[in-house]
Amino acid sequence: MTIDEKAGKTLAELGVTDSNAIARLFEQVHSAIDEEVRAFLDGDIDDGELARNAKAFRDRWLARGHGLIARIDQNWLKQTPKESRGAVGAEFNRLRQYAAAQVETEPLLEAWRQKTSALSEVRRGPDLTLPGYERELGSIHPVTRVQRELEDIFIGLGFRIETGPEIESVYNNFDALNIPESHPSRDDWDTLYIDSNTLLRTHTSPVQIRAMRKYGAPLYIVTPGKCYRNENPDATHSAMFHQIEGLAVDTDITFADLKGTLDFFARKFFGEKTRTRFQPSFFPFTEPSGEMAASCPFCEGRGCRTCKESGWIELMGCGMVHPDVLRHGGIDPDRYSGWAFGLGIERFAMLKYDIGEIQNFFQSDVRFLRQF
Amino acid sequence: MLGLGVASSVAVGSDHVVDLEVTTNRPDCLGHLGVAREVAAAFGRSFGRPVYTVQETGKSVHDAIKIEIADLEGCARYCGRVIENVEVRPSPERLARRLEAVGVRPINNVADATNYVLMELGHPLHAFDLARLRGARIEVRRARAGEKLQTLDGVERELAKADLVIADADRAVALAGVMGGADSEITSATRQVMLESAWFEPVGVRRTAKRHGLHTEASHRFERGMDIAMAREAIDRTAALIAELSGGQVLQGVVDVYPQRRIRSTIVLRSSEVRRILGTEVEGPEIVRSLTALGFSVEPEANVSWHVVPPSFRLDVEREIDLVEEVARLHGYHELPMRVRAAPPSPERDLRRERELAISATLTALGYREVIVPSMVDPAENARFTDESPVRLLNPLSQDASAMRSTPVPGMLRALRWNLDRGQTDVRFFEMGKVYTTSERTSEGLPAERRVLTLGVTGLRRPASVHDAPRALDFFDLKGDLGTLLAAFDVGPWDFLAEDLRYHEPGLGARYSARGAALAHFGQLHHQVAREYKLRQPVYLAEVDLDALLALDLRRRTFRSIPRFPAVERDLSLLVPLAVMYRQIEEAVGAVPLAELQGFRAVDRFEGGGLPADHYSLLLRITLQSPERTLTGEEAEVTVRRIIAALGPLGIQLRSA
Repeated sequence: MTIDEKAGKTLAELGVTDSNAIARLFEQVHSAIDEEVRAFLDGDIDDGELARNAKAFRDRWLARGHGLIARIDQNWLKQTPKESRGAVGAEFNRLRQYAAAQVETEPLLEAWRQKTSALSEVRRGPDLTLPGYERELGSIHPVTRVQRELEDIFIGLGFRIETGPEIESVYNNFDALNIPESHPSRDDWDTLYIDSNTLLRTHTSPVQIRAMRKYGAPLYIVTPGKCYRNENPDATHSAMFHQIEGLAVDTDITFADLKGTLDFFARKFFGEKTRTRFQPSFFPFTEPSGEMAASCPFCEGRGCRTCKESGWIELMGCGMVHPDVLRHGGIDPDRYSGWAFGLGIERFAMLKYDIGEIQNFFQSDVRFLRQF
Repeated sequence: MLGLGVASSVAVGSDHVVDLEVTTNRPDCLGHLGVAREVAAAFGRSFGRPVYTVQETGKSVHDAIKIEIADLEGCARYCGRVIENVEVRPSPERLARRLEAVGVRPINNVADATNYVLMELGHPLHAFDLARLRGARIEVRRARAGEKLQTLDGVERELAKADLVIADADRAVALAGVMGGADSEITSATRQVMLESAWFEPVGVRRTAKRHGLHTEASHRFERGMDIAMAREAIDRTAALIAELSGGQVLQGVVDVYPQRRIRSTIVLRSSEVRRILGTEVEGPEIVRSLTALGFSVEPEANVSWHVVPPSFRLDVEREIDLVEEVARLHGYHELPMRVRAAPPSPERDLRRERELAISATLTALGYREVIVPSMVDPAENARFTDESPVRLLNPLSQDASAMRSTPVPGMLRALRWNLDRGQTDVRFFEMGKVYTTSERTSEGLPAERRVLTLGVTGLRRPASVHDAPRALDFFDLKGDLGTLLAAFDVGPWDFLAEDLRYHEPGLGARYSARGAALAHFGQLHHQVAREYKLRQPVYLAEVDLDALLALDLRRRTFRSIPRFPAVERDLSLLVPLAVMYRQIEEAVGAVPLAELQGFRAVDRFEGGGLPADHYSLLLRITLQSPERTLTGEEAEVTVRRIIAALGPLGIQLRSA
């Protein structure tokens, strides 16, 4: 039964007799007013029709004679026997006041104005949702970034950084490292020559020779720098690349120091959980020689695309410095021993940042550089 | 696990083809026998050798062929066998398959037999058509002047006198240890085979192979050092195989020319040295077991050392350290202990690195991104930016990369162009690299290398945003960035000089120098150069002498007490003749001896408007401060008047006056 229908009946006809039922019935009328006011304010009304609509709405409730309030007065209050009219009268007075406050034209239009002005009010102050005035910082090249990270690990172990020329003597690059012209091992390095005695260094190992001659033993160094190979560029090869090598020479350096220090280094760089594996290999300048692999940092050794499902990633060559190399460095191999390693920085950067193509490093594309 | 890396393993029929990476020191593993020996040693098992018997006829080989080594240095042993009545035809299916599996193309039963034994025992052999060897004679000698040989690949080769050849009575018939000659090749008509199994000296083979641009299965092995003992076993094995495959008869005996028997010298291995290098004790019995399994003969000496003789196939083992490696290899690297070893502490500081980091930090804070560009350039392009001729490469990959740059400019321009071509128009780059010079040499006689810091900027000073009208970078942005960078160092007073380099836009090049040496050249790129590089917007470049900068201390940080009395600022609106440059005003004001003058700077400058012709207006803001008291207005006025008086000789007046 709608409010309109209820208003047309007497309380007796509605079966409303006790005071609780009366209160509930009037409560329904209050709710109906609230609901209709809300519907009116939410309605989409032209300014021109606003006054007329407000008047019609007001009349529905408050018109003399046929308005809902008037009918409630007629049918509910007036038809109630005098002796029980008190409770109904109190409720009715409350309703009439409420309706006047809510449905009368003036308060209704005021409510309308408040609603619409909340939408169109001219905001004061700046729009704080605009982006901030950000200053774009520059960036360090990923190869430099990784190089410094590698350096830092060894600096933390007390190693010093040594550098040397990129244009080197054939002697320092090969002969002093136990790679004579007459041995096929020299073919392992595709070399760019300047003349018969001069070349672009193929590794930073000549810096080890230079440092041994300059400082003698004990010696703890890392040697970062550019190196060159006569190689056609592909996804993982570039004629120019960066290497870092390490060298420790002292009176009691053993293979255990090589393994332990490089294992420490791998865990520091790739994460504490990294495991390392050492296998025999051959380099003319170390004996025994080895390769160190680490558990793949991407899959933690379970096998993935990067490690070709092997769970391991070859990281570097290493070994105990060959006695001849120590001798070429002016160090007595019977008194001193040493370990050394060498690794490609681009490869480490590619692993660290998941970069697939080495050429990315040398194109200087801002969209690449910005990511580091 | 042994140092033989497994590159791949592929199933072929019921077999597996395992591709091993054999390092250059292990030619003994360039055959199945050697690999079997390694595997057997590693697993403590035994391994079998091929089983065969040579059925010889009654006829002596010595009647069929004479062999002489004229050059014992190049060839220490030469074995020859002769097989008669061979029928040259395709090899049986099984043998052909096996060869194909290891990547050898089957040719005919004779050639296949030599290749089979090459793969099996690892020793290269060569088969000659005996009928084509003139005088039934083999001589191993150096090539004669002007001697020629057509090798199996069909190439007619002019031989060098250092080339070791196999010759018959008249002429060279093979390049020793490298490749046979076409003329004595086995053909379907061959009936008599002269089989060669020799030991050629590695360096000579390597030189000959390189000289002729050849790299063969044989040269690959001989230049690494073959097993001189195997020469004999290999020829017997091959002869038996040829007889079996071709129905031929092996003549009796071997012509084995081996006048100076090679004896491996004894190496003393001390357990103390094993411990010193490996950092752990390896038990004596294990050492003996390992080395024996690898073919070494081992005599213990009071159990603290061993007398070890390496086998003939391990020419890579010459000294004690080589034996230590063998022990470590078989012990297993993974079994060896680990110890983290730090360097002894040193108070030395790496100042160069600290300075380099300061440069990086300053430039990145200024919005510069680091690039790394190739050192190798096209010399013609390089020459357009400098007179310094570059270091040229003897064997470059391409003309584009045939010299080491002597200027960093082209590399930076290419980096900028790469980005402009891709719609990235606001770029600030720095590069720290080297240039290489021919004009200067180091004390060792190497081309000098100088470190250089290069800046390249183009585009907007700041990206377009709602907060700021976009404005293009200009000369003064670069000048200011350089100033900020130099201020990070203890440069001392530095000079500015307008000076165009050849690639600068005329009138827009400059130089900073300190202590009489140029620190930086910078300016706007010449529009013509920009056009050639397809850079369609102004580009600014700076070259900083990085060696000079890194030699300077970082700015000394010392505290000076903050003045207790307030500073007074005065703005002087000056009318300046157009001919007067700001530098002159700076010098004139700076020369006035005023204790209270804290500093001054130009805050506005304009020309035109209602100004007298040939003049501009400059607003100079001066800061006055006394350490002793608050300056009165009157005192400030006196100072201002002295400054104006000092500017008088430049024709500068106060505008308001």
